[in-house]
Amino acid sequence: MKNWVNTMSFIEVKAKGKTYLVAKDRRYTETDEWALRESSGLIRMGITDYAQKELKDIVAVELPQVGRVVKKGEELGVIDSVKATSSYYAPVSGKVVSINRELEKSPELVNKDPYGAGWIVVIEPLDPREYESLLTPEQYAEKISKR
Amino acid sequence: MIGLAKKIPLLDFYIERLRAEPGYFGDWEVPMRYTSAIEEHVAVRSSVAFFDVSHMGRIALRGPDVVSFIQYIYTKDLSKVKEWSMSGPTLALTELARVKDDEMLYKISEEEWLLVPNALARERMLEYFRKVISEKGFRVEVSDLTEKYSMLAIQGPRSAELMESLGAKWAGDLKLLEFRLNEEIAGAKLYLVSRSGWTGEDGFEVWGDHGEVKKLVETLISRGVKAAGLIARDTLRIEMGFVLGGHEYGEDPVKFPCAVSLRYGMGAISWDKKGFVGEDALRACRREGARWIRVGLRMGKEAGRLFPREGSGVYVEDVYVGWITSSCYSPVLNRGVAMAYIDTRYAILGEEVEVDIRGKKYTAKIVDFPFIKK
Repeated sequence: MKNWVNTMSFIEVKAKGKTYLVAKDRRYTETDEWALRESSGLIRMGITDYAQKELKDIVAVELPQVGRVVKKGEELGVIDSVKATSSYYAPVSGKVVSINRELEKSPELVNKDPYGAGWIVVIEPLDPREYESLLTPEQYAEKISKR
Repeated sequence: MIGLAKKIPLLDFYIERLRAEPGYFGDWEVPMRYTSAIEEHVAVRSSVAFFDVSHMGRIALRGPDVVSFIQYIYTKDLSKVKEWSMSGPTLALTELARVKDDEMLYKISEEEWLLVPNALARERMLEYFRKVISEKGFRVEVSDLTEKYSMLAIQGPRSAELMESLGAKWAGDLKLLEFRLNEEIAGAKLYLVSRSGWTGEDGFEVWGDHGEVKKLVETLISRGVKAAGLIARDTLRIEMGFVLGGHEYGEDPVKFPCAVSLRYGMGAISWDKKGFVGEDALRACRREGARWIRVGLRMGKEAGRLFPREGSGVYVEDVYVGWITSSCYSPVLNRGVAMAYIDTRYAILGEEVEVDIRGKKYTAKIVDFPFIKK
């Protein structure tokens, strides 16, 4: 039996006594980042609802330099919570073309709206096919439901 | 250690009932967080919240030599403690004047005392007590009550009002560090209720059989009292400048400076007392002067909410002058704060130092404790 349900725009995953949302319009990494291909072809990324609920109490998001070239899986920056630090990674290879400067003032946006206003970085992808190799929402939902 | 971890008795209940997020502290599995550590922290500072602190050790000492035994073990003069009153915190030292543990002692009568060691020190202290007792021939019987009782800390400016509303009409009159035995609160039969805590706020700590404490917790939940976990407990103690074993002190004479450097305060050391373990080395440290001193560091505005990690360096004009021992984001100040040992020659209150956060230098100011105005 699957312990998740489909709604219009999210898959709701129940695990560890909590509900985690997985947005259906984007792709995912094993390390709990989401990647959204925009109509321009650019990849917007952030961390998933699962990741923000695990971190909680986010107090700072360290942003990469615009223009930095990153490989898929490379550390883009770190997120500080009250007592701990964790890294977030590039979902695809490419160049950082935009960063969410709002997070410098309001890092809690990542907690409040991880799939929207809490986005972190926009990457211009080197190889558009890389996006297709990321986890589908169903695959990611299945993964977190088993953690 | 994790494989051998013991759950605090009510852990599964907290997970089930309050969605507690469990985590490890020493060899205990405890509630780390319930909703948000920041919210829990703020609830303690502004209202009231409860912690289950059953991971803390609880030891009973009985016998005709208890007072001479504890006078030998601890740095504080415990000869004039009133009955039904707590004394401490005080320090148990090694022969090299490093700190084994900081503890509160409870005097029931001349021959019957209780004490609360830190979770990480409990086994070590029990073993140490038994060794000293057999070597020195103290007539003292040691019993470990840790797993017999659960322990709650109800903390915050509204804690007395809460206790009174639960039927403990005497709660508001109980003085700081006084305790009562065998009380019933809201139908829960408790072994001990003290006016104490470790958050810097007014509060009470209660010990009781697990089922009775669970009853009290149910009542607290039904009254809308917030549960708080160990992360909030840590950020609360750091804001107050309270020390923690393994961070600010420990037995290792290489890793930790002598107890004088800890600058414990609160009357933990009675200099006019003679004949306690580590006294010679402690007085030698005092005579020679401390090389290191524990200070507070408050991060400057440019750091936003960042804070330096434990173990990272403190610098003045690029000279290494000390190291960070504990740190966190302070929800009250909305800044990073840290405790550090720094070379006494650089320990000038109000002066700026630099700390390293992921390879980048940030300014911090040397301040006294507590970090927040009380």
